[in-house]
Amino acid sequence: MTSNIHRRSFLRSSSSLIALPFLESSGFRKFASAAAEAEPPKRLAYLGVGFGFTRDTWYPDAKKTGDAWELSEGLSPLERHKDDITVIQNLTNQFNNEAHWGSTFWLTGANRYAEPGQSFNNTISVDQVAAETLGKDTRFTSIQLGYKGGDNGHGPGLSLAWNRQGKPVSGLNTPVAAFHRLFSDDQTPLAERQAALLKQRSVLDTVLEDAKSAKRGLTKTDTDKLDEYFQSIRDIETRLSKEEAWLDVPKSKPTDLPEEPGEGLKGVEEVKMMYDLMVAAMQVDASRVFTYRQPLDSFIRSMGATITSHNMSHYSDGARKVVSKNRDAKQSELFAHFIDRLKSIKETNGTTLFDNTTLTLGSNINSIHYLTNCPTVVTGGGSGFKHGSQHVVDPKTPLCNLWLSQLKGSGIEVESHGDSTGQIDSLFA
Amino acid sequence: MMGVYELTEFATGFVVFPHPIGTMKAFRPTLLTLLLLTASFGFSADTPKAAMPDKHVAVFEKYCFECHDSLTEEGGVNLDDLGFGLDTIESAELWQKVLNSMNSGEMPPEDEPQVSDEEKEAFLEDLSKQIVLAREALSDSGGVMTMRRLNRREYENTVFDLLGVRIDTADLPDDANSGGFDTAGNALFFSSDQFEQYLNLARGALDEAFLFGKAPPKKLVIKRESEDKKNKFFERTSSKIKLDFDKAQEWRATKGAKEPKEFGFIDESDVRFHERLYNQQYKTFRRYLDNELSNSGVLLEKHFNGAVVDPIDIPGKWPVGEYIIRANVGALKDADAHQKFIEFGQTGNGARGGEMKVLGYRHITGSVDQPQVIEFRVRVAKTGGRSFGLRSRQHNNRDATRAEFLQSQVRNKVGPPPSLWVDWIEIEGPVYEEWPPQGVSELFFKGREWWKLPDQDQYAREIIERFATRAFRIKKPSETFLEKLFTLYKTERDTGKKFHEAIKEPLAVVMASPGFLYLLEPAPGQEKRELSPMETAVRLSYFLWSSPPDEKLYEAARSGELAKPAKLGWHANRMLDDPRADEFIASFAHQWLHMDRLDFFQFDFRKYPEFDESVKASARKEVYETIRSIITEKRPLADLLNADHVVVDNLLANYYALADVNHEGFQKVNLPANSPRGGLLGMAAIHAMGSDGTRSSPVERGTWVLRYLLDDAPPPAPPNVPQLSRLEGKLLGPREIINAHMEEAQCAQCHRKIDPIGFGLENFDAAGSWRESMTLTQVEKKKGKKKKVIQIDASGTLPNGAVFTDYFEMRDAIAKQDDAFERGFAESLIEYALGRPYGFSDESLRERLIKRADAKNGEIREFVIALIQSKPFRTKK
Repeated sequence: MTSNIHRRSFLRSSSSLIALPFLESSGFRKFASAAAEAEPPKRLAYLGVGFGFTRDTWYPDAKKTGDAWELSEGLSPLERHKDDITVIQNLTNQFNNEAHWGSTFWLTGANRYAEPGQSFNNTISVDQVAAETLGKDTRFTSIQLGYKGGDNGHGPGLSLAWNRQGKPVSGLNTPVAAFHRLFSDDQTPLAERQAALLKQRSVLDTVLEDAKSAKRGLTKTDTDKLDEYFQSIRDIETRLSKEEAWLDVPKSKPTDLPEEPGEGLKGVEEVKMMYDLMVAAMQVDASRVFTYRQPLDSFIRSMGATITSHNMSHYSDGARKVVSKNRDAKQSELFAHFIDRLKSIKETNGTTLFDNTTLTLGSNINSIHYLTNCPTVVTGGGSGFKHGSQHVVDPKTPLCNLWLSQLKGSGIEVESHGDSTGQIDSLFA
Repeated sequence: MMGVYELTEFATGFVVFPHPIGTMKAFRPTLLTLLLLTASFGFSADTPKAAMPDKHVAVFEKYCFECHDSLTEEGGVNLDDLGFGLDTIESAELWQKVLNSMNSGEMPPEDEPQVSDEEKEAFLEDLSKQIVLAREALSDSGGVMTMRRLNRREYENTVFDLLGVRIDTADLPDDANSGGFDTAGNALFFSSDQFEQYLNLARGALDEAFLFGKAPPKKLVIKRESEDKKNKFFERTSSKIKLDFDKAQEWRATKGAKEPKEFGFIDESDVRFHERLYNQQYKTFRRYLDNELSNSGVLLEKHFNGAVVDPIDIPGKWPVGEYIIRANVGALKDADAHQKFIEFGQTGNGARGGEMKVLGYRHITGSVDQPQVIEFRVRVAKTGGRSFGLRSRQHNNRDATRAEFLQSQVRNKVGPPPSLWVDWIEIEGPVYEEWPPQGVSELFFKGREWWKLPDQDQYAREIIERFATRAFRIKKPSETFLEKLFTLYKTERDTGKKFHEAIKEPLAVVMASPGFLYLLEPAPGQEKRELSPMETAVRLSYFLWSSPPDEKLYEAARSGELAKPAKLGWHANRMLDDPRADEFIASFAHQWLHMDRLDFFQFDFRKYPEFDESVKASARKEVYETIRSIITEKRPLADLLNADHVVVDNLLANYYALADVNHEGFQKVNLPANSPRGGLLGMAAIHAMGSDGTRSSPVERGTWVLRYLLDDAPPPAPPNVPQLSRLEGKLLGPREIINAHMEEAQCAQCHRKIDPIGFGLENFDAAGSWRESMTLTQVEKKKGKKKKVIQIDASGTLPNGAVFTDYFEMRDAIAKQDDAFERGFAESLIEYALGRPYGFSDESLRERLIKRADAKNGEIREFVIALIQSKPFRTKK
C-alpha cells in the first residue's frame, strides 16, 4: 500500500492536474473542450434491497433465455427498457448460510467462517475495489448511501461497502445528509477553511500520538483491533488531502439539481430522492462509485402496508404476498426511473450517462429463506455488456463472477474477486 | 496451504488427517477407510471436536458414492475424501454443502433412490448439530479476549460520568452484535466516520457541560391552559362541517334540479364526502363542546383525526437542560379502569394527529373534583425537540385511533367517551441538582474564574492532564500527547478564543482518543497475565455498570485491596445494589433473551387494542425488574422459571387483571393460586416476542424456550428449505398447519422438539393474554368470511420425555430442568462479562459458577460474584 506521505504529496503536487468535472452542465466548458478527446469515465452503482423478491412473480421464466426472454410480473414496469437490461439467474454466494443477510456478503462473496478462531469474517466489496481505481480523480472516492432504521434483511454492516481489511464502511443515511455532502458548499472563506484543515490535521496528529502509546505492549489480537483505529485515521487523512486538493474548486451542481430534501422523507420517496441524487452526482462527476443499502420497512409502510419487511419476506398466499408483490413492482418502477434519468443526460462526447455506467439491483437473498439464485438485474453500458436478454447460468455460478466481469468491463485490472472463478463471457457476447 | 497436513490426536489415540478439499495424494482415513475402521475406533464423546457419528456411513454408501466417489466425482464432489471429523474449516464447508443440498432436496437427485425419511431425519439431525458444533469449535478463540472499544451505551455513560451530560448517541453504530453481546471486543468495529462522530459528540457534550455564571439561570415557568384554544379550534372545525352539511342538504332539496357547483361543491361525490364528514364527526365535536368540563380544561378523547392532545412547548430561547413538566389531571366519573392512564410524550417531527414518542405514563387516581398533580422530567438537548403533550393511552398510530373512533361511531353515532380531563400544564426549569454542576467544577478544579489566575496556560496544562488522566481511567497519558493537546489549546487561543472556549478542543480530542475509547490491557510478550487491581476495577465497573469505576472502587484498586477475592466480592455486591447496575440487568437481559424481537412487529390494534406502546414498554420492563428484584432480594435464578408472584407496575397489573396497584413504579405482587403468571413463561413480553403482532407463533416460542430455558438450542433456520405451501388457503388451526413439519424429514428433525413446547404456550395470545380458545378466520374472494372456533390443546411432550397435559404441567416440567437453565444463563453471563464468545475451554468455569451458586440456593447474585472472583475475569489473555 502506498504510504500516506506519498499519497498526500502526490495529490498535492497534482492538484492542478486532477481531472475536473468535464460534463456539459458543470460549467467547465472551456476545460471540457480541452479534454474532449478523453472518454467519459466509467461508473458503477449497486442497489441492495435487503429481503429478496417474490419468488414466483419476480423471476422471469427461466426457460426463455437470450433475447427470447419475457419480463415477469414483478419486472413489468421495466418494459420500456427491456432491451437495455439483463437478468441473470442462478448466481450464488456459495459461502453464505445466513438466511437473513441479504447485503453482508452480497458484494464480497466472503466466507463468514474463513478466519480460524473468529466467528465473523468479511472481505473487500466490489465497489471498494472499483473505487481504488475510479475514485482517484473525483472529489469523493466513493459514495455509500443508507437509511436510518432496523436491519430490513441486510444483515451486519454499515452500508453495502466493506474495505480492504474487510471492515464495514459507514454511509450517508438520509437524503439530506447525502445532499449536503455532495452539493453544499462550505460558505466560510477559503483562508478559514484552510485553517480548519490545518486544525483537523493537528487533531489527527495528536490522537495518533496516543494511539502509538496505546499500541505499546498490546497482544497480537489487540494490535489488530487497534489497527482499525489507525486505518480510520489514515482514511481521514486521505480524505483531507483530497479536500485540500479540491478546496478552491466549488462543488459542481447540475442545473436540475433536486431541491434540498426534507428531513422527514421516508420510504418510496426517500429511495427515489437517493436515486436522483446519485444521478446528479454522476452528472457533475462528484464520484464514480455508489452503493445504496435501501430501506425496506419504511418502503412498504409508505405504500400502505402495516407489516414489517421480515414479516413480508415470509409471505404465503394472501395479504403478505400482496405487499411483497407491490414492493417488487415499485422497485422496478423506481429502477426504470433511474434508467430514464441516466439516459436523459448527455456526456461531452455525445453518449449518455447510461452508456458509461453499470447499475446493478439485487440482494444475496432470493426470496423467503432462499439464498441460491440471487436476484440480479444489470443495466447500463459501462461494462460493455450486451443487454436485452436473460442469462440462466450454470447453477451456483459465483455471484462474484458477475462482479469480476463488471470490474474488468469497466477497465479495472483485477485477476479475481471474492470466490470468482472467471468472467461470465456470455454477457459480453 | 495445499498439501500441508497436520496430525490431530484424538483422545482415543485415533489419528485423523484434516485435509483440504480436492487433494487426495496422501493416504488418510476417510469415509472409505472408516468403513473398515469404525468397528474398533470411534470418537471420544467428550472431545469438543465435531464429528458425524459413524453410523451414517451407511447413508453415503447407499445413496452418494454412486456419483460422488473418487472415481465418479460428479459435480467435482468426491465424498470418499470427506473425513467424518468436522475439524477444519474446509471439511466443515464440505459438510455444510452436504447439509444444504440435502435440506434443499437437491440431493439425491429426483431420479435416484431417495433416502428414507427415517434415515434422513437422523442424518440431518446429527449433521446440523455437528455443523453448529464445528462452527463453534473452529471459531473458538481459546479464551483470547479481544480488546474492547466502549460500545454505544458505555460511551454515553462514560461521558456522563466525566461531564454530567447525557449525549444523544443515536447516530453512532448501535453495536448490536447479531447473536452475541454488544460487549464482544472482536465485533466492535471502528469505521472511518466514527472518529469524527466521537469528536463532534464530545464537543457537543462540552458545550452543554460548560456552564459559567455565578448563579444558575433563573428558573423559568410557563403555565398553560389550552381550553380556549382547543374550544375555538373545535368550534371552527365543527361549524365548517355543519355549514357544508347544511349546504349539501340545500342541494339535496333541489332534487337534482341544480348543479352541486352552485352550492360550492365540485360534484355529487364531493357532496357525499361532506355529508360523511358531518355524520362521522359533528356529534363528537358537539359532545366535546357541550361538556361543561371543556370550559375549564382539555378533555382527552379520540377523534377521527387522532387523539386530542394537550400540548406544551419549551420555548426555543430557554437553555438546554432538564425541565419538570407538571399537569393537574382528573379522571371522569364513569371512566373505565383501564383508561385511567395518561400518556406523556414528545410531539411533532412529522407525526400524524395524536401520534407522539411516548416518554412515560401515569396512573390517574384523582377525579375532576379532586384532580391530582402529575410530574414528568424531560431533558432538552441542543438538537432535540421541544414540543410535548399529554393524551389518553392508545396505540401510537393515528390509524388505530381512527379505527377505534369509527367503531364507536358506527355503534353509538359518536366517538368513544373521554376518560381524562387536564386542568393545566406547566413547565419549570432548567433544574440543576447543584450549582455549579459537578462536571464543570470537577474540571475547573481551581475555580471557573480563570481570568483571575496569573498563569492561564499553566492552568490549561493542569486541566488537560487531570481530565485526560481521569478519562483514561486513571492512567497518565504520555508527555508528548499532553504537549500536543496543549498545543491545540494554544492554537485556539491564538485565534482569539477565550480560555474556557479554547480548552474545549483538547478535551474533546481526549474523548476521541484510543486511551479513552478502548479498554486497554497490554500484555507485552505474554500469552496471559493477571490484571492489575486498576484494570480489574475497570473491567468490573464496565461489567456491572457499563460505566467507569467510582472513587471508592478506584481507591480499593490503589490500595491493592481489589487483589483479594473477598474484597473484590464485597465491592461487586455493593455495585450490584447500586442503581447503576440496572444498566447491566437491562442490557444483559435484553440481549441474553433476544428481546429485540419485541420491536420486530407492530401489534394489530384491532385485535389487541390494550397492548399499546405503554403496556409493551412495561411488559419489557417487567423482565428487567423481575431480575432486579431477584438480585436485590437474593433469590434464586429458578424464580424465573416459576414463581408465586410477579413484579409489575400499575399498568401491567391492570393488563394482567390483578388487584389494583396504587404505586408508581414496579413492585412485587402475590399471585392467586393457579395463576398462569409468575416466571418468564407467564410474562406478556415473552409471548409477544413469540408472535408476529397478529398471531402467536408456536415455532418461535418453542425455539425460544429450547434456546434460553432448556439450553438445547436448535440449529439456525437453514437456508433453501422448501417452503410448505400445500396447506395454503385452508382454514386450519396452528396445530394442523405445523404438523405438516412432520411430513418432511428436513423439518421434522428439529420441529419434533420445537413445536410441542410452542403448543404448550398456545393459551397465550400474541399479546400474552390468556385464552381458552381461538377463532380462525379467513377471508376469501366471493365466498366471504369463514370462521371456526377451536379449543386450545396445550398437551405434549418435552424433549426429555416429560409428558404434560396443559400449560401448567409444562411449566412445572420445565422448572424441574433448572440445571439446564442455569447452564445457559452461566454461559451467557460469561460471554457478556468477558466480552468474547463462550468457548469450550470455559466449561470448567461455567461449572464452578453453578456450583458456587447452587451452594447458595442458586442465587443469581452468586453466579455474578463467582464469575467476578474467577481467574478468567482477572486475567488478560
